[in-house]
Amino acid sequence: MRIAVEDLSVALAGRTVLAGANLIAEEGEIAGLVGPNGSGKSSLLRTVYRHLRPSAGRVLLAGRDLAELRPAQSARHIGALPQERGGDFELSVLEVVAMGRTPYKRAFAADDAEDHRITAEALARVGMAEAADRRFAQLSGGERQRVLLARALAQQPDVLVLDEPTNHLDVRHQVELLALLREQRRTTLVALHDLNAAASVCDRLHVLHGGALVASGAPREVLTAELLAEVFGVRAAVVEHPLTGDPLIAFDHRNPAEGSTAAGAADRTGSRP
Amino acid sequence: MTSATTRERRDQPRRPRPARILRAGPLAALLTAALVLALTAAVSLGSVDVPPGEVWSVVARRLAGQAPAPGTHDLIVWQLRAPRALLAALVGAGLGLVGTAVQALVRNPLADPYLLGISSGASLGAVAAIVLGTTLGLQLPFGSALGLTVSLAAFAGALAAFSLVWLMARRGGGFSPLRLVLAGIGIAQFLGGITSYLVLQTRDEQQTRGVLFWLMGSLGGAVWAQLAVPAVAVAIGLALLQARARGLNAMLMGDETAAGLGVDVTRLRREVFVVTSVLTGVLVAVSGAIGFVGLMVPHVCRLLVGGDHRRLLPLSALTGALLLVVVDTVARTALDGQELPIGVVTAVLGAPTLLYLLDRRLERN
Repeated sequence: MRIAVEDLSVALAGRTVLAGANLIAEEGEIAGLVGPNGSGKSSLLRTVYRHLRPSAGRVLLAGRDLAELRPAQSARHIGALPQERGGDFELSVLEVVAMGRTPYKRAFAADDAEDHRITAEALARVGMAEAADRRFAQLSGGERQRVLLARALAQQPDVLVLDEPTNHLDVRHQVELLALLREQRRTTLVALHDLNAAASVCDRLHVLHGGALVASGAPREVLTAELLAEVFGVRAAVVEHPLTGDPLIAFDHRNPAEGSTAAGAADRTGSRP
Repeated sequence: MTSATTRERRDQPRRPRPARILRAGPLAALLTAALVLALTAAVSLGSVDVPPGEVWSVVARRLAGQAPAPGTHDLIVWQLRAPRALLAALVGAGLGLVGTAVQALVRNPLADPYLLGISSGASLGAVAAIVLGTTLGLQLPFGSALGLTVSLAAFAGALAAFSLVWLMARRGGGFSPLRLVLAGIGIAQFLGGITSYLVLQTRDEQQTRGVLFWLMGSLGGAVWAQLAVPAVAVAIGLALLQARARGLNAMLMGDETAAGLGVDVTRLRREVFVVTSVLTGVLVAVSGAIGFVGLMVPHVCRLLVGGDHRRLLPLSALTGALLLVVVDTVARTALDGQELPIGVVTAVLGAPTLLYLLDRRLERN
């Protein structure tokens, strides 16, 4: 299903954190959101999985305004992997994944054979079938993210929404998780910190800066040295990846971009009305 | 899972502990059987011991609507001990249930039914009724210290505290766990201060003892007429919470996760807050604030069957019922001629049990 974000604004405690963003994730496309901290990536994603309500604008799921759907209805189409990690309440891996069936179940309804099949399949898809009976709280960071992705898959969503899914993962687990995402071939909205990862896995990138969308397009078009200096405040060269041919950003880790300071970037954050 | 595989796992320390030790079905059957035994023992034991066989024959005659057989302990069994044992079961079930739900509500395993300030309102209401009521010369059934007036005043106090916490917690679009806890603690401190002042105003020793006994919780003086309200409240509360069990599970993982799973988190939290508050109010009104049950029972149950609320809620109710029937029997019979406050027994027995369980759990992790 296609996701369209139209003139979306979000305000938190009176402060505008997203101002009139427009973007489209086409059917089967991986759309990446990149931008510095506080640029509005998470707020945009939270509005799509309905943790936040837009202060203006709307999100269209296959042409229908999300606000017209009951929360459970939209959760059958949109599976989310937020940044939060649950506390330790003695839940097993299987129980966490089975939560993905929540939007399909009425009060008092038990899991049926179909739910068990879908749950087991989702767990196998992320390579965690062996861990079904383990305690979720005991898993490593990489295992947890895979289990949470399995939970989102158990929702059988048409659209996946992921907020920094590779945070705190070592490189190998990052690669595995992103490869899993690409395998899905589902409409995907994903916020990523790692620009090189974003350049490799996303079909289209949307750059957020200070709550506004400042660039959209194929990674090759969007990720230019000028944009990296302007938005991220870094000096970088964009070259071709010797193995994959994707754009590869080589940062200058010694010097920030000329005329750019972290304070300057922070000033722009959220200053828009 | 059988006990054999549990033992196997213990022999392999490197193998991580499974999330649940027991299956819910067999455990529920076991707990129910134990509850029946405990209820029998509770009615059987006391200053006059009544053989278990006679207990059940008295109950059977009563239930069949027959006149009590001459020479039996009908009065003791049917009028004195049976309502008290059943009240213990109901209050225990309710406290276990509310404890589990409140821990999910504020996403904190240290929460208990009294965290949100409801019980301090109830205590204030009850103490005010006892102190002011007798000062004004009203006749209260003091032998029990749990008369209808006190219960009504306690429930009114619970509702007042609930309204205050609600007003505080809803600000800022909220009902966030932190807001609920802070509002609850603030209101509890405030009302607790007034209660302490009233306790100091008690005029004679008997009044003070009555107040203190109430504050520590007691099931003394239970009569049949008292059982209907908590029975209905526990049954409805269980049904309402069980219907929301999946939502509670999702909420454990976090508000964003729950929202992503199609749960209207604010609404769910509001509903659970109302259900747990009313139930707490009813329980405290009939028994005072009996401590530790609502904290300990959810932990024990979670350790046994894992964190899924679809299993956890009914099992918490069963375990709470069993625990409080046993504890009340101990409180009644441990000392000759004097009854221990039940809160003392729950704390003395409960705290070490809880510590042992947590310690073992941390070790095995």
